[in-house]
Amino acid sequence: MDVLNVEYMLGLVPVLLGYLPLTLQLAGVAMVMALILACVFAVVRVLGIPVLNQLTIVFISFFRGTPLLVQLFLFYYGLPQLFSVLTVIDGVTATIMGLTLHFSAYMAESIRAAIIGVDRSQTEAALSIGMTNSQLMRRIILPQATRVALPTLMNYFIDMIKATSLAFTLGVTELMGATQKEASGSFLYFEAFIVAAVMYWIVVEILSQLQKYLEIRLNKAYSR
Amino acid sequence: MKFWLINTLMVLSLIVSPQLLAQENPMKVGMSGQYFPFTFVEQDELKGFEVDIMNALGKEMGREIIFQTANFSGLFGLLGTGRIDTVANQITITEERQQAYIFSEPYVYDGAQVVVKQGNTEVQSVEDLKGKTVAVNLGSNFETLLRELPYADQINIKTYESNIERDTALGRVDAFVMDRISASQIIKDKPLPLALAGKAFSQITNAYPFQDTETGRALRDEVNQALRTLRENGTLASISEKWFGTDITQP
Amino acid sequence: MIELKSLSKHFGKSVVLDGINLTIEKGEIIVIIGPSGTGKSTLLRCINFLEHPTAGEITVGDLTVDVNRASRADILSLRRRTAFVFQNYALFANKTALENVAERLVVVDKWPKEKAYQRAREILERIGLADKADAYPASMSGGQQQRVGIGRAMATGAEVILFDEPTSSLDPEWVEEVLGLMQQLASERQTMMVVTHEMSFARDVADRVIFIDGGRIVEQGPPSEIFSNPQDPRTQDFLKKILATNSVG
Repeated sequence: MDVLNVEYMLGLVPVLLGYLPLTLQLAGVAMVMALILACVFAVVRVLGIPVLNQLTIVFISFFRGTPLLVQLFLFYYGLPQLFSVLTVIDGVTATIMGLTLHFSAYMAESIRAAIIGVDRSQTEAALSIGMTNSQLMRRIILPQATRVALPTLMNYFIDMIKATSLAFTLGVTELMGATQKEASGSFLYFEAFIVAAVMYWIVVEILSQLQKYLEIRLNKAYSR
Repeated sequence: MKFWLINTLMVLSLIVSPQLLAQENPMKVGMSGQYFPFTFVEQDELKGFEVDIMNALGKEMGREIIFQTANFSGLFGLLGTGRIDTVANQITITEERQQAYIFSEPYVYDGAQVVVKQGNTEVQSVEDLKGKTVAVNLGSNFETLLRELPYADQINIKTYESNIERDTALGRVDAFVMDRISASQIIKDKPLPLALAGKAFSQITNAYPFQDTETGRALRDEVNQALRTLRENGTLASISEKWFGTDITQP
Repeated sequence: MIELKSLSKHFGKSVVLDGINLTIEKGEIIVIIGPSGTGKSTLLRCINFLEHPTAGEITVGDLTVDVNRASRADILSLRRRTAFVFQNYALFANKTALENVAERLVVVDKWPKEKAYQRAREILERIGLADKADAYPASMSGGQQQRVGIGRAMATGAEVILFDEPTSSLDPEWVEEVLGLMQQLASERQTMMVVTHEMSFARDVADRVIFIDGGRIVEQGPPSEIFSNPQDPRTQDFLKKILATNSVG
């Protein structure tokens, strides 16, 4: 085995860095949308709103029960066969939608569990002082559920960043796609993927630090 | 959410006229960008035999060529949904594919080649693959070729998205099967301990697939005409010489 | 000023409240006693609509609600005229003592924050927890938490505070301070309905003691009468049992 080609790796850094923003954009946008969707699903499930609840259950079951790659294929290549107008959706949009739907299904269940986990008597206390349901959710339940759900949600976000690598199958060249192509040209796989791995790692590490900071803030109320 | 989007798109489809969605002058060409030396990337620049031929065709046809890279497993999806016009990725003409797509005339004549780790004396021809583990690229034609062998049930075929050369060099699989030309190229140019095992075992012809539609057929005819011109004026041969040292565009 | 007419609550087939009629004057201190599972807590929870009553009419101040025709708005206004103190305190775990007390003023009454916190500070002062203003529930003792729970009820300015076994979850060492605070409130003539097993509190503080059994009011009167001369055999039986374990003297 040859020694590591450091020069090649250094030359690759600026090239691959150019694709990092797209990776972060895919994951970031999808995360925000998935969070909103997941909160809606979770509240629908917790309140047991008729019809919507059943639809949500089926939705969650499907998107948790099938691989993300299958969903992306169905969405990007399958649906346009039925509705040809859907080809106007580009790969970036399709990836974001796929990530959003897939991860919202997982996150909905974590958020639901976290909401249910908030002591029932606090709900009664909030109602007893005359709060409305939405005030109760906003001021009492969701802040506490957030604290419980945060580590899991952060894990999903990290998963999502890594899942963006599937986008290259839809023709979106993000960090992983760019790395694969560069490696195929040079056959220096180890060097190329090490550079990419370190980039993912640094991003995830920054997020982990952010998580730590948020956890300390959110846990302030619960330490004796 | 999804329904909302679909509805919106339905409405949009009524507003956006079909002409806007139809192909204009540029030809969109899909490739993996991961198939050295046909299509690969160096310092963010897409290069290779396929890129050169396609650019020459574009010049001849008076069309701009827009390259779209995607994982190999997504290329036919892109073609099937009309997001690209054709695939330039050493697509071998097969009966299966001919049922779904129409093909241009072949522009590459090649054969399937067994490649092993350097020093492997056990596998010296395609017959020696019996009882061995063999890697092929997912969705590539070589898997079908292997399965057509009379002793196919004795071969453990592993499909890969990429990196089959790597796993063979590392000894994770006994051999891989790839087209002869790029296999030779890999052995010549790259720091991987690999060797050809015997002669190519099946002739294959590679061409450009198109959708079997009116626009697809027209484009196919246009490409065929340009191919003929480039063949006659020696452009195909010189591009091949540049990349392979031989002319692979002739039978 | 508080009037319950034929208030009933059924859970499926079981009748927990069976046509309660009750009138409470402003400033009156009511203590409700009776065996476990006879509807005492349910009565309080129905007044606050934490349980939806099955039938009857509730009047608090100038608001009368027929429980079967109660709109969401009715329920909200009823809740805003009553306050509840829970057995397990039920403080908002994500909020400080000060915020717990001020929450109603800020969120429901839409007071400016400054004013609400000012008021909440006064209340913490009165309940002897001024130094705990910025403490979260998790860092407070049970007694302190329940005092904050009472403070939260006081801040509502409600016409009546409903106490649902406020000392039952407390370690014995904290019971006195909570009862002391309730006694202080009683001396200020805050209208109160208290469900409790603390017979000494009933005897010393109540204006009227109500004995409930089987979802009905069996007997009621001033504590002196109920404790020394109960009329109904069920009251006699209950008091005999509970006083044997409860040193009332």
